[in-house]
Parts: sequence; C-alpha cells; structure tokens
Amino acid sequence: MMPGVEKVYGLLAVLLPWEAMQAGFMQRAFLALLLLAPMCAAMGILVVNFRMAFFSDAISHSAFTGVALGVLFQVDPRLTLIGFGLLVGLAITRMKHHSELSMDTIIGVFFATAIALGIAIISAQKGLTRNLQSFLYGDILTISDSDILWAALLFLVVMGFAAFSYNRLLFVGLSEPMAHAYGVRVKAYEYLFAAVLSLVVLFGIRAVGILLVTALLVVPAAAARNVARNAGGVFWWTLGFALFSSVAGLFTSVRWDSATGATVILFAAACFFLTALYGSFARR
Amino acid sequence: MGQEPAISLQKVSVRLGGVSILEEVDATVERGSLTALIGPNGAGKTTLLMALLGLVPYTGTIRFGTGKRSNGHPRIGYVPQHLDLDRGAPITVLDLMVMSMQRRPLWFFWQAELKKKAEENLGRVQSAHLIKKPIGKLSGGEFQRVLLALALQQEPDILLLDEPVSGVDMAGELLFCDLLEEIQRQARFTLVMVSHDLSIVTRHADHVICLNRKVQCQGTAPEVLTPDNIQAIYGVHAGIYDHHDPQSHHTPAGDPGRSNDARR
Repeated sequence: MMPGVEKVYGLLAVLLPWEAMQAGFMQRAFLALLLLAPMCAAMGILVVNFRMAFFSDAISHSAFTGVALGVLFQVDPRLTLIGFGLLVGLAITRMKHHSELSMDTIIGVFFATAIALGIAIISAQKGLTRNLQSFLYGDILTISDSDILWAALLFLVVMGFAAFSYNRLLFVGLSEPMAHAYGVRVKAYEYLFAAVLSLVVLFGIRAVGILLVTALLVVPAAAARNVARNAGGVFWWTLGFALFSSVAGLFTSVRWDSATGATVILFAAACFFLTALYGSFARR
Repeated sequence: MGQEPAISLQKVSVRLGGVSILEEVDATVERGSLTALIGPNGAGKTTLLMALLGLVPYTGTIRFGTGKRSNGHPRIGYVPQHLDLDRGAPITVLDLMVMSMQRRPLWFFWQAELKKKAEENLGRVQSAHLIKKPIGKLSGGEFQRVLLALALQQEPDILLLDEPVSGVDMAGELLFCDLLEEIQRQARFTLVMVSHDLSIVTRHADHVICLNRKVQCQGTAPEVLTPDNIQAIYGVHAGIYDHHDPQSHHTPAGDPGRSNDARR
C-alpha cells in the first residue's frame, strides 16, 4: 500500500541486522524516533532560549482534553488532539500580546482550564480512562504506517521552519524591540513558532506521552548547553543527544520491557548530568 | 543633506492601560544631529523611543525624513537600555552579529563576507577581540559596545540609544561616548539618545529635549540645562560636572535621575 515506506523498512532491516530490528513494529518505532529527534532538537533549543518549557507542558496537557473531546463527539481523537492543542497554543500567544499579565500566569490559566475541562469530560464518560493510557505514557511501538507518513510530512514542515527562522527566533529571544528594529516581524514569528511547536509536542506525545514530551524537547537542548560553545554548535550537540537517547532508549526499552518514552528520557537525562559534570570540570 | 528633519513629531500621545504616558509631544530632530532625551524616571523617554520604533500605539504624527532603504524609509538602529540576558546561552558575539544579517541558520554554514563585516564593525567600537566571547560573559561596557557595533552594522539613518551607559563604569562610559561621537562624525547618522547623565548630554548633545510626559523645554544644552530647569525637572538642585574637565567647578549633579531612584 505504501511502497516508499516498505522500502525504507527493508533498508533498515539490512542496515541494522539485529534480530530486534527485523520486527515491523521496531522498524516503525525506529523510523518515527529518527524523524522526531531532529524536530525536537530544533524546537527544543528555542524552547530553552525562550524559557517556554511551561508553554510546552500546557500544550501537551491540553492533548488530554483534545482526546476527551474527540471521544465525546465521536471524532478521531488524533484530530481533536491536534485541533485543541493548536488552539491552546495560539490562544496563549495571542493573550500574551494583549494582556499585561506575565507569560507564566497566562499559561497557568490556560493549563488549568484545559485540564479541568478534560477531567470534567472524562469523569462524565465511563470507560474513557482506558483510551487515555497510551496518551499519558506514549506508545511508540504501536505506531502505524500512516502515522509515519504524517511524521515525515511534519518533519519537512518543522525542519523547513527551523532552517528559515532559527536566526530570527534567536534574535527575538534576546530582545523583542531590538529584533523589531532590525526588521524581524516579531509577532508573525511568535505565532508561527507557537503553532509549529504545538504540532511537534502533539506528535511527540505519540512517542513519549503527555507527561514526558516537554522533557524530550528540553533535556537534550539543556545537555547541549553544557558543552556547546556557540549558537551553531548547540544545534548539532542537541541533535546528537536527541538521536542517541531515542535510539538507545528504544533498544533498551525492548530489552528491559520498560516504557520506551520513559527510557528515552532517562538516556537524555544521563546525557544532561554527564555533560553538566564535564562542564563543571571544564570551567575550573 | 537636505533641510528636511530626520524626525518630526506632532502632538504625539501614548496611553497604555488607561494611563497617559506621553501627551501631545511636539519635537523636531535635525538630520545628523545628536539629540538627547532627558527627564525623570517615568517621564516617557523609553516610550517615546518605542513609539519611534512603532512598538506602541500612539496618536498624532511621527514623520521620518527619507532614508537609505529602497522605499525611501530610514533604517533605524536601536540599542536597548537593558537586556534580560540568558547568561548561559551559548551565543557568541559573532553569532549575535551574524544572526541579524544571515537568513541561513547559524548551524548551517556561514557567509564569509558577513563574518568579515562583523569583524570590521566590532573593530569600529574597539571590540574586535571580543568576537569569540559568549555574550553572557561580557561586562556591561563591553556588551553596550557590541550592541553599538550591531546597530552600526545595519548602516542606520537614525540610531536610537536608550541609556547606553547605564550600569557602565566611568571609564567605559567615556570610551563609549567618545567612540560614538567619532563614529557619528564619520557615518553622519542621526542620533537620539536617552540619558540620565547630564555631563554627557552637555558634552555631546546638539539638541536637548526635556520630557516629563509633555515636552518641558527643548533647545541647546546650555539653554536647557540651567540650574533652575534641572531643579524643576528633577526636583534637586544641581549643576553639571564634566567628567572630562577636571577644572569644572560646578556641584556634581551625579545622576539626578538615579538619585531620585535611590531616594525612593
């Protein structure tokens, strides 16, 4: 049905000739993580620069409500998850521009509202809790071919956006008025960033779950800060840590029979603590 | 250079959150001049710069003279008063200089000519040696010079400086102001500078606009900075002490704006 994807799987089976990699679910999971890691790296650096970890958390938790809404209205929950998540991301950004409240207060309000709405719906609908399990902890091993194709499309969008706007967004992160004075369309970039980040978070949920998706963005980028010396280097270090944690986490989780998402994050955290240790020695 | 002023403001008013910040400001900034904006804290100086940058809504008219852009609009450079810097960010001075000029992401090859241009502009502010330093590790004076180099890199028609020497020691302040005057003489841009330091204003400004929501007075430095005006503006009795001139006999004004702050 999807010959392009089949060829990639065949190639993976040859390139990685281990027994574990001969299973279809492993090939799909591997490919999904290979697509997800660079997206998380590119956006994670900016999340750390903009101090937007809480924003990412709000989006991921809004997915909870997105799924509940899907089940309530009998629509594919993956669609309502994306729709609701995007809505929350853009609404927070809009409110930031039109309110004198601090960003974390605004996010806190949206976060709480989304969660409350989700819990209200779930508590009223019996049997919904089971559906939510895979969203809470992620379930990369059950990812489908169509998910992979969507991920590939998202990969092109996110990496295109990151390549196009990385410098400008770094500049906005330093000073909005200064970036504006230098001709950067600050508001447009902020909305675009919020939208693209929301999409990455919502796809990341598929891999590591609502609870850990922010870690997938923040931890490799934070580890990279411990070793990178400039704004170009930090991207390659983040990418390296994200890819390493994803692959190592996937294989280890299969071996230990642990949750893949959590194992990936544990590897990323190990990268962070080891580089922090290295950083503290290097500074002496 | 024509007769047309670089900036003219007519009845410019700004209200933010129901509070009137600026009321009917009328002022003219001559092309190629160094105009100082002075006034106590909360007088609306920074807001006026924000209005010039188009970052706050205002009523009234702000008209700019023609500039270097292809559409005739002027290029405006801006050096902010304070950046809430993320000190741990792995961004070097060179990254900062290139990121505003290069579309291609910093992680994917550099345009060699932009690096050269950055080096040249840092050289103009005696900061070429800082090029590889992370911006979080720069001193206040070094960072202000780098921001100035960044602004110069845009080849501005108008340069807006918001208290460029606040938080900088006196040696750094003198270096910065002398550099600025020298560069302005060469590049002939229009400079608008918010400053609390009246000795710098006296020494460098061609035109002084004293602001306290409205324009209180404007003119040359000797016309505006009389002891009576300073008393009226800042509420302290003071004269001007010139840091450059050891023979200066006036009572040190220090920094009237900041001394107000200290008393609060």
